Amino acid sequence: MSIRCESIDINLNKREILKNISVEVNEKEILSIIGPNGAGKSTLLKSLAGDINPIKGNIFYDEKNINNINIQERAFTRSVMSQLQPIAFDFSVKEIVEMGWVDRGESEYADQFDDAVNEVIHKCGVKDLINRNFNTLSGGEQRRIHFARTLLQLWRPSNSDDPKYLFLDEPTANLDLTYEIKLLNIVKEIAQEGAGVMLVLHDLNLAAKFSDKVAILKSGSIIDIGLPKDVLRSTLLSDIYEIDVEVKDDPLLITYY
Amino acid sequence: MNNFLSVIGIKNIHISSRQIIILNVFVIISCICFLMASVTGSINVPIGDIIRGDISELTKIVLIEIRLPRVILAALVGASLGISGAALQGLFRNPLADPGLIGVSAGAALGATLVIVLGSSMSNGLFLGSFLLPLGAISGAMFVIMMLYLLTKGFGYQGVTYMLLIGIAVNAIAGVGIGILTFISTDSELRGLTFWTMGSFGGVTWPLLIPAIVIILISISSMMTVSRNLDLIQLGEPEAYRLGVDVKKLKYKIIISCAAAVGASVSLSGMIGFVGLVVPHLVRLFGGVNHNYLLPSSAFVGAALMITADMLSRTIIQPAELPVGLITSAIGSPFFLWLIFRIKRS
Repeated sequence: MSIRCESIDINLNKREILKNISVEVNEKEILSIIGPNGAGKSTLLKSLAGDINPIKGNIFYDEKNINNINIQERAFTRSVMSQLQPIAFDFSVKEIVEMGWVDRGESEYADQFDDAVNEVIHKCGVKDLINRNFNTLSGGEQRRIHFARTLLQLWRPSNSDDPKYLFLDEPTANLDLTYEIKLLNIVKEIAQEGAGVMLVLHDLNLAAKFSDKVAILKSGSIIDIGLPKDVLRSTLLSDIYEIDVEVKDDPLLITYY
Repeated sequence: MNNFLSVIGIKNIHISSRQIIILNVFVIISCICFLMASVTGSINVPIGDIIRGDISELTKIVLIEIRLPRVILAALVGASLGISGAALQGLFRNPLADPGLIGVSAGAALGATLVIVLGSSMSNGLFLGSFLLPLGAISGAMFVIMMLYLLTKGFGYQGVTYMLLIGIAVNAIAGVGIGILTFISTDSELRGLTFWTMGSFGGVTWPLLIPAIVIILISISSMMTVSRNLDLIQLGEPEAYRLGVDVKKLKYKIIISCAAAVGASVSLSGMIGFVGLVVPHLVRLFGGVNHNYLLPSSAFVGAALMITADMLSRTIIQPAELPVGLITSAIGSPFFLWLIFRIKRS
């Protein structure tokens, strides 16, 4: 079970953003995409999430072409957190979290709505924020709430084996150290429970610590993909970021100047 | 209540019990307003007399042929302006969207004027009063909403100013159009036009009212079915899409429903300002912003407000009548100023 793209090309505003990319996000696995600004990381995440259609190549959700999957079905299968827009009206935090609940009609899920919301709120540690007005929260707090919403979208009863995938574009932006680590630990836990996860990260050490696989992207092409210890090499990273990068093994530690 | 909501298409009731109570209070208030307005006017009819059946033939005619259609029309127009304001504010993610301010009512008015002036020479009056006038108004309203959507697209939340500026331009263009049409109209067309632009609920009859009832009720029901999606679109169009919302379908549904509701209202009552702006904000102040609560509440509060405004307009300076638009603008314009200052503060 996986979400994968095969040799996709993506153009935006007549500019080539991605060329000939093939990536696979497997269940129980965290794939981190790293690379300099403008490399095409967010575009890759958006195309796998189904937001952007490639001009060439195909995207498959569990061997089914994404073009044959309606948006409701996609919403059941994957959830996405990316750069967020301001919200015009004063919704409560609880309402924002609950927006992650995708309607499944009269299924067994429907009866477990309250349990699911409580579970996600507890897991993300946002109980103390839940009755506040969303627009009064700080940037970091808002991000944590959106993360909780994203998790609610993927919530399944414990006996469910429906596939689920999580796409997070710079999930730790605006977060302090504590919540940065807390959030990524939750992501790891979710991956261990069976989800496939794709992360776009800037912090190489977080990518080294939390990923099962790392892909390096530059100018719309994948330079390397594989285990963190194989991909995160000082020569390659120095070349990609054009600064001096030092990598120590065991534990994998990346230092840059 | 929950069963009722799920029957009309609102699944997974995202509405708190407090909001359900507030909504019920709004329903009761609008029913009371409806009853009060039906028995109050130049001929007062005590409710007790109606229950006992102790009313003269003349009073009966006044009630059924004059008063009742008028109160129903006021309720329908109030409900459609209230709910359309709420839905447009939700769709545009813009707290200042109001059918009057952003030019939708003006578009409808221009459409209706076109029908009055040019339509009478094209058709032989067969279809005119009941359907052609609302159709012209609906087309005008739809054209303006689509133009607004295209022109403010990409501005997102920053589009507040642009939308109001476009509204000013559309209002001016419609004003010019109506002016020219008035100028070229014949005496009889001018007479029809003058009565229509005065904007009143008086003079409405059942044959005129029934198509409007059908159009407005269908439009309101259609908007109610997408209330949850209007919540989700507050996260931004890409996020709503990722949550399974067919954004394009949602836009068309809201645009067509609002155009139909506002167009049908304007065609019968003329342009009545500020209701679509004031009502949703008032409703939000009482119980919150989610659309499962906001849309039905705005419909009921809009109806109650309009029935009351109409009742005041025909009772304050009896036997003369104040234009109802004057009363709604008197309430709405200070509220609009307050809203601008509030947005500036936040």
